[in-house]
Amino acid sequence: MAPLKTSEDPVSQFFVALAEQGRIATFAGESATLRFDIADGEAVERWHVTITSGDVAVTRKQDAADAVVRIQRPQFEAIVTGRLNAQAALLRGLLSCEGSVAALMMFQRCLPGPPGSTGRVGPISGQAVMAERRPA
Amino acid sequence: MSDELVQILEGNTFVVSDDRGDIEASATDPTGLFSFDTRFLSKWVLTVNGQRLTALSTDDLQYFQTRFFLVPGSGTVYVDAKLSVIREREVADGFHEDIRVLNHENVPVDLKIRIDAASDFADLFEVKDALAKKGQYQAQVTDSSLVLGYRRETYARETWISSSSPAVIDDKGLEFSVTVPPHGEWSTELEVVASTGALDGFSASTTGIRGEHRVHRDMARGLEKWLKHAPRLECDWEPLELIYRRCLTDLAALRFSTLTMPGRSLPAAGLPWFMTIFGRDSIFTSLQALPFTSELAATTLMALAERQGTRIDDFRDEDPGRILHEMRYGELTAFEERPHSPYYGSADATALFVVLLDEYERWTGDARLVLHLEQAARAALNWIDEYADLQGNGYVSYQRRNEQTGLENQCWKDSWDSISYRNGDLPGFPRATCELQGYAYDAKVRGARLARLIWKDPALADRLEKEAADLKRRFNSDFWVEDGEYFAVALEADGRQVDSLTSNNGHLLWSGIVEKSKARAVARHLLGPRLFSGWGVRTLAEGEARYNPIGYHVGTVWPFDNSFIAWGLRRYGFKDEAACIVAGIMEAAEVFAGRLPEAFGGYQRTTTRYPVRYPTACSPQAWSTGAPLLLLRAALGLEPHGDNLVVDPALPMRIGHLELLDVPGRWKRIDAFGRGRVDTDRMTRR
Repeated sequence: MAPLKTSEDPVSQFFVALAEQGRIATFAGESATLRFDIADGEAVERWHVTITSGDVAVTRKQDAADAVVRIQRPQFEAIVTGRLNAQAALLRGLLSCEGSVAALMMFQRCLPGPPGSTGRVGPISGQAVMAERRPA
Repeated sequence: MSDELVQILEGNTFVVSDDRGDIEASATDPTGLFSFDTRFLSKWVLTVNGQRLTALSTDDLQYFQTRFFLVPGSGTVYVDAKLSVIREREVADGFHEDIRVLNHENVPVDLKIRIDAASDFADLFEVKDALAKKGQYQAQVTDSSLVLGYRRETYARETWISSSSPAVIDDKGLEFSVTVPPHGEWSTELEVVASTGALDGFSASTTGIRGEHRVHRDMARGLEKWLKHAPRLECDWEPLELIYRRCLTDLAALRFSTLTMPGRSLPAAGLPWFMTIFGRDSIFTSLQALPFTSELAATTLMALAERQGTRIDDFRDEDPGRILHEMRYGELTAFEERPHSPYYGSADATALFVVLLDEYERWTGDARLVLHLEQAARAALNWIDEYADLQGNGYVSYQRRNEQTGLENQCWKDSWDSISYRNGDLPGFPRATCELQGYAYDAKVRGARLARLIWKDPALADRLEKEAADLKRRFNSDFWVEDGEYFAVALEADGRQVDSLTSNNGHLLWSGIVEKSKARAVARHLLGPRLFSGWGVRTLAEGEARYNPIGYHVGTVWPFDNSFIAWGLRRYGFKDEAACIVAGIMEAAEVFAGRLPEAFGGYQRTTTRYPVRYPTACSPQAWSTGAPLLLLRAALGLEPHGDNLVVDPALPMRIGHLELLDVPGRWKRIDAFGRGRVDTDRMTRR
């Protein structure tokens, strides 16, 4: 198998990181294969992911897969960097999935969240709530 | 025209029309053909010689099928009708409609029969909020079909309309010029297909659409099989048999398949606007239905695990391990103008997920699913400690991070004024409502059982049990309102008790977090004059500043709420008190012809005599449909104990003799019997 190249490219960075983790907790007990056909102008770049009971292996092969996902490169870059939500992209027609949508649904669990999300928010006082709402 | 709206559905596709079968939606008028949260037809009007029709009668044949008997003209003109028209419609991935025109005269008649069709492709959210569209419309006429389309960038939705008999098609509809022989008939079949572009490939049933009624025969068979597999109920009190049958049929209608598991069904939240996955609603309904069918629970657990949160996403209020609140497929969700892809803003669904998993195992013995979902359950348990404790005080609390389109109240009482002090003041955020602590406690206790028994992780079990015991101890001191002898509805960020008396106390009994010494006082309140209306337990007690007998979460009685309260009362041994709730809600169900609304007025029973329906767009609603099922469980005292089912009935007198035959579970099938002995009228002083 040809070694996976690391570069500044977010797509290969994403897949290389996935392969390096080897075992992804959220995939525990799950098995599926996915192929990503990423269109870049005329060229199509392929990444093949095999998940076996939570263990992840990545190749550049054009093998068959449970789910074949087709998408333009800029959109896929946005997805793997958390700037575009995969489910929204699917509804919008930015990506297509041939075969098992269950495999795609599982896979999206390893995608990152939006870059600006902190998980934090400042508290709101009772007085502030009451100022906006009518009293009883 | 009549104000009566007719609705039929299958999965997340549904049609709302007037009683003639016509659809004439305005921006805010909720009629149409809807699929995947999008309106695919906003106009569908049948005319004969330019004349609208009038309904003689409308038959709901099945939940997915309706028949309209019509005559030309309006008002009183039709008395002498020489023609009648029968429309029969059934929903699949769009709908199929048979139109038959009958000539009652001795001479042939020439007719121009026309269907006007149009679509605004509104997102369900737009229908509710009347928002403007951002894309372009198109209509395409071919020899045999009319294709209405909408496109915004790569987002495309289309409605395909075709007919079995030759028609003249223009971009506004289909027209048939026909001669109907004396006492003869003309007919055609119309096919309307809702196409979601990229999503079509996932919709397995699409292939069946043109297969000559195959779809509907499968559906009818499905319903029959569903009814046959459920336990049989026999009872001296006839209304209960009707209620039971209504529940099973409505529950069948509320079944919904996800794109990823087309062969399996889970309960959607309500018909028609909430035909989608809601974490909380699907879990509560699955819990209610467990003694009758376990498939809903299994599918719900799998579907929720599949979409469990794995990252921090402030727009969707997503965290690792969090169970989703609501999933949508419409345009606003697609363009991330709404966060429902899915949205995670629910503070209870995650703990309830673990509760359902354990309860499911106790009934079915299906250890395989519990093993399969081990990672998901661990992540859910982790969420409770890691992400839900917003204040670092050991309590689950909520505050939305999406301040534009997120949900302010992330508990089941989700309206703006549902959580208040006695004096009506509203607390700030984060809010730690009491039932969330109960669910978290129960999740830990049940998680410990699964860890010890099935995941073989005694260390985790020990830790969870220790945490649960600690939570219970702290909760019983921090939330207990000394001068009222009940639990506060919430804690403020500064630790102050939000001190109103609410039905949430019943959920606390259900989850087991209440110390034995405090349970009697809580039960007394639930059946006391401030909370108990005679029909059921009010959401908020009479006497609180915001109490309003027709306020959504501030005084109405919710059948779903009451079913869990009854289960809670049983848990602490208050059998007769549980029977009072059973009697009240079942008698209300009788008044509502077997179909309980989402909520009804909290007026004192002796004042209004009849329960007053709370006006709501959604009926049937899943957890109201499930309420009588859980009440039956509470009345019969059904409780799995190892491989046995314990039956310990405490039935209201009125019910008389009750048999529930073939209750499914790890014991295969068991019959449960009971006889009404509790004088609930005397207990509630009616």
